[in-house]
Amino acid sequence: MTETITIIIDGQDYQVPRGMNLVDAAKMHGVDIPVFCHHPKLEPVGMCRMCLVELGSLAVNRETGQPERDENGQPVVRWFPKLQTACTQEASPGMAVRTDSAAVAQARYNVLEFLLTSHPLDCPICDKGGECPLQELTMAYGPGQSRFIYDDKMHLAKQIPLGDLICLDRERCIQCARCIRFCDEIVGDEVLAFHERGRRLQIITISDPPFDTKFSGNTTDICPVGALTTVDFRFGARPWELDEVASICPHCPVGCNISASTRLDRDFGGRKMIKRIMPRQNEAVNEIWICDKGRFGHHHSRSEERLTQPMIRRDEEWVPITWETAYREIAAQLARHGRESGFLAGASLSNEDLWELRKLARLTHADCSLGVWPATMGGIEQVTQVGVGVGTRLQDLGPDSAILVIASDLDEEAPIWWLQVKQAADRGAKVVAANGRATKLDQYATVALRYPYGEAVAALNSFAVIARRSNAIDEAFVAARAEGFAEFDASLKGARVPKPYAEAAQALLGAKDLVVFVGGEGVTLAQHGELMQAAANLLILTGHAGRANNGLIPVWPGANMQGALDMGFGPQATHDLIAQRPAMWIIAEADPVAEDARMAEVLVGAEFVALATQFMTPTAEKAHVLLPVQSFAEREGTFTNGLRRVQRFYMAQTPLEGTLPAWKVFAHISSSMPGGAKPRIAPGLVMRDITQHVLRYAEMSYPNLAHVEPQFPLVGGEDMYYGGTAYSNHGGLGVQWATNAEKEKYSLAVRPVDVARPRLDGLAVVPVRLLYDREPLFAPSSIMHQRVPAPYVELNVRDAEALGIAEGDAVMLTADDVQMAAEARVNSHAPAGTVLVPQRLGATPIPATLVECVVQKMEG
Amino acid sequence: MPGAWLLADAKDPHRNGVLKTMTHILLRNRDIADIWQFDTYVANGGYDALKRAVNDLSPDEVIQIVSAANLRGRGGAGFPTGRKWSFIPKDAPVKYVTVNADESEPGTFKDRELLEKNPHQVIEGALIAAYAIQATAVYIYCRGEFWDLALALEERIEEARQANLAGEDILGSGWSCPVYVHLGAGAYICGEESALLNSVQGVLGQPRVRPPFPAQVGGGLYYAPTVVNNVETLANAPWIILNGADAYKAIGTPESPGPKIFCMSGHVERPGNYELPLGITFRELIYDQAGGIPNGKKLKGILPSGASGPVLRATEEVLDAPLTYESVAALGSTLGSASFILMDEDTDMVWAAAKMTHFFRHESCGKCTPCREGTYWLDTIYERILRGEGTARDLELLEKVPQQIMGLVLCALGDFACNPVLSTVRQFRDEYEQYIGLAEPVAAEA
Repeated sequence: MTETITIIIDGQDYQVPRGMNLVDAAKMHGVDIPVFCHHPKLEPVGMCRMCLVELGSLAVNRETGQPERDENGQPVVRWFPKLQTACTQEASPGMAVRTDSAAVAQARYNVLEFLLTSHPLDCPICDKGGECPLQELTMAYGPGQSRFIYDDKMHLAKQIPLGDLICLDRERCIQCARCIRFCDEIVGDEVLAFHERGRRLQIITISDPPFDTKFSGNTTDICPVGALTTVDFRFGARPWELDEVASICPHCPVGCNISASTRLDRDFGGRKMIKRIMPRQNEAVNEIWICDKGRFGHHHSRSEERLTQPMIRRDEEWVPITWETAYREIAAQLARHGRESGFLAGASLSNEDLWELRKLARLTHADCSLGVWPATMGGIEQVTQVGVGVGTRLQDLGPDSAILVIASDLDEEAPIWWLQVKQAADRGAKVVAANGRATKLDQYATVALRYPYGEAVAALNSFAVIARRSNAIDEAFVAARAEGFAEFDASLKGARVPKPYAEAAQALLGAKDLVVFVGGEGVTLAQHGELMQAAANLLILTGHAGRANNGLIPVWPGANMQGALDMGFGPQATHDLIAQRPAMWIIAEADPVAEDARMAEVLVGAEFVALATQFMTPTAEKAHVLLPVQSFAEREGTFTNGLRRVQRFYMAQTPLEGTLPAWKVFAHISSSMPGGAKPRIAPGLVMRDITQHVLRYAEMSYPNLAHVEPQFPLVGGEDMYYGGTAYSNHGGLGVQWATNAEKEKYSLAVRPVDVARPRLDGLAVVPVRLLYDREPLFAPSSIMHQRVPAPYVELNVRDAEALGIAEGDAVMLTADDVQMAAEARVNSHAPAGTVLVPQRLGATPIPATLVECVVQKMEG
Repeated sequence: MPGAWLLADAKDPHRNGVLKTMTHILLRNRDIADIWQFDTYVANGGYDALKRAVNDLSPDEVIQIVSAANLRGRGGAGFPTGRKWSFIPKDAPVKYVTVNADESEPGTFKDRELLEKNPHQVIEGALIAAYAIQATAVYIYCRGEFWDLALALEERIEEARQANLAGEDILGSGWSCPVYVHLGAGAYICGEESALLNSVQGVLGQPRVRPPFPAQVGGGLYYAPTVVNNVETLANAPWIILNGADAYKAIGTPESPGPKIFCMSGHVERPGNYELPLGITFRELIYDQAGGIPNGKKLKGILPSGASGPVLRATEEVLDAPLTYESVAALGSTLGSASFILMDEDTDMVWAAAKMTHFFRHESCGKCTPCREGTYWLDTIYERILRGEGTARDLELLEKVPQQIMGLVLCALGDFACNPVLSTVRQFRDEYEQYIGLAEPVAAEA
């Protein structure tokens, strides 16, 4: 822990961590030192000069070493003759600061007068008006009148698109460089810069495409004026008209806390509508950042394409029916098919939806298969044992930490985790980025490990071999907790470890904390279970389990895969169902037909398919009854993120008429069944059921999940000048469930893993996930369309040459029975012998796992 | 005694801007034709100082000699050079010497002559500094407009390298130090040492927050400890090593020893560079050396340090004052880089101040709010006054706005920008009052 020291602010003693930035140290104790350029998450630059204070140090008698005292016994302070910027000072013992003197007040007044000489003062039409640090600080510290003659004001361009999402107003910019520094320091994307100098100093984008980063929206939150605005919200509403509703991003396993800014809006028939999505502070999850998919990907919630009417297929026509008819029809079909029914849950259902679906399945038959979609990643057993510890904060990982990311392109699959891993690397954490191909994390990694696709398990298992050989085993932990060690240990003996694997392993061993991110890229489901076990083996062997900042983090597809697994759904069940081909299916918020070529045939062969969906997807076209359910924005519920944090989202938007939350739909079907109970009236009561039946959710009552605690740095409200306009958290910080490793009574299983590599002749398809794709929850956000590429496949230069394929050629990929047309990208991203195929870019499904394929150039 | 002749020579008659009888320490090109050529330089004792340092002296001894000579930085601040070198941590694995050849101060053209006409002496001086701190490399940062000069300089460096005086294993000592030339892109601010370092690194030329200072880990070039010295400063080093600290201190005054190149421009009979000992008077420099004011006019204002220092009214007291760092400061200005811009009795001081203000508005890097906005504001006020639309309130603002800039920004440019404003408003207030219609012309001072 950092040493605590005493500094004097305005005559009072305060205890602060040594070396802490003076502005932050004062803020921690409620003393405001106004700032524009300083931000608690960025390095100080001392540019805006707003934080000028009187600075001094306690005079110490050279002979006695004691502080000197005046005639009144008060300590003597030696003050600097000139004011100093507080943001460039680090708290040190004996430091004395005056923030409340006339000189300081005058300095603030003067800086504000300067800033306003070139500011347009167009607050009445400025999006930032009402939540603008420049407005707030001017009111608090600034002049009421300017001595500057307004006619002399410099006029500059007011609508400059910095890329397709962010707009720059050059007149409003006060040149604080927060946006540039955010991109450079926090993200590492050098896409913004200053151009020119003096009063002509201006922000430009230096990337092609412009402002090319997945985090561009955050710059608008920390911009202290209205210079940067999003095209999504620009001229959309005034901040004081907006109602803030706490929510959780539905797009990925990070579970970013978001705030939906809503109002009754003409554009939505006078109903309550989301005007923008903003980050909501949760320092254990997303801090104060969100990615652009989360910020701009909310338009599906009120898309014109949304289904709003239950329908049944009669003679190949969709016929509207009432909800009652739908419930009765489905209940009757379930009664008829009994155990011949399959249940398939998507990864964006809430825990309450899942629980009611599960209850419905259990009414039908106790052994009904509960499948998840996508069924590409398993390993809930390993998460239960050694998932990352309760209280983990990725922002705390630093010089003592090691992080392994394997089989995942974190930047595309979970951007905020990528950001946090990148920053941990910046702070000195050892990072190993292991994958079959290069990813963006490589440039920050201590070791970028390339293994041939198919060898992920072998690679990870070799880390355990090296740990054993280099005596990095935590003997005490293993003796106390591990089960099956002898057999596992025997399997490690004599294993051959290629040198690159050994080097990567060495980089991880010996760290105080170890976090392992496991993705599912380039592995089959069977292999994925082994990969998760290999990760668990390593963590248990080296004692990195059962405490905060240690353990396993699965990079699940979707926002609530963790919740689905917790509620008893699983990927193996999906594969079993596909093999068994049940006569009846109930599918919820999943689009398997679009993602797996076999599924169209499976569903066509079924007698009855009921689908709860928001959109007319390819799967919907194979269904018999469609149940229009609500998006995350229109209802309450909970998602469980990849760190097993159960988090509440609240109703933000007036539901589309005719839709219902999925949990209610399932509950109504249940109540139409023999033995079914009356539906609960609120999702909070469904969660109460869950707390009583799902042991690990015992603490997840809505009041517990809504609990908040003060967080630092302060953001929003009166502190927006300091931390930005991200919202402080009033909706709840969520609760993580504890793993077995955190409970002494459980032993933790280690076992040998199957390192066999699937035999593939010829080219192998490797499906990869892209952040910006055409999945139904994202496609309706048309402002993001420029970021979504046309369907493409990536081929290695050597393979492409052999096949006579050049960059940009139209090609046809054939694998199993799937045919997919795409544009060829020829480069060295794809290792020789593999074809990288991004998922969900086009209408045709692609093979969902590692299989052989043929790629041909299309003629004409 | 070398010092003796210099002091004596300072009073000698001169012709064509070059002292006929004088021997130079810095501008040796005035005495020796083609000294820019490697062979000529070596034939005249060139690189003997580097050889002496590397072969016979320890790095610490070099620092001691330069410290004892009390060589003060010629870039403007006058900081003791030996002390600067001694700040570099001995145990740092990577250290740099950066030569500040961004000579951008209006009225300054001394470094240009040195680099064009006597370049080997600068290279030798830089290598002596590099040896003293055991530097990894030397970077010579030339202003963007020195393009042709920089190309030629690279050839001179190559000559030195081929003679084993730079580059790998210098003089067989085991110490290696390549010398590189880096061109700026034309910004006054890049003469400020931390902005210069940023510019060498290829990022925006804006000053850095200090501490850490360039000499400290984290503050220098590529964040390694770095000495940043002016061209003229380093050109003194070879002579000091060869002749010793005492000989050097015999030139000039005890607090400001050594020769100094004075750049004379403006209303002066013989503009140009003059190498003279520090301690001569304004009068000797202006009238005896540079030939006085053309057309028999009277001298009104003196800018002793280009545009960045306060203007001095040419009173008898000023003209009789010695040119040392301390005495010019006592007069309320700075010696700076000793770039004298002279203004005769017909000069419009408001116009002159407006020109300088416009320059600083153009050159403010824009990082700190007060300088960025304040220089713009001051410039608009001057524009208004020159248009004949100025008011008493504008005059008041010209005194007040600088108070909101000076000492409250990261670097000295903010102060520089205010100096011509405040010094002219205070000393030539009547001229401002004429512009704003508060006063009629008065007879010029006798």
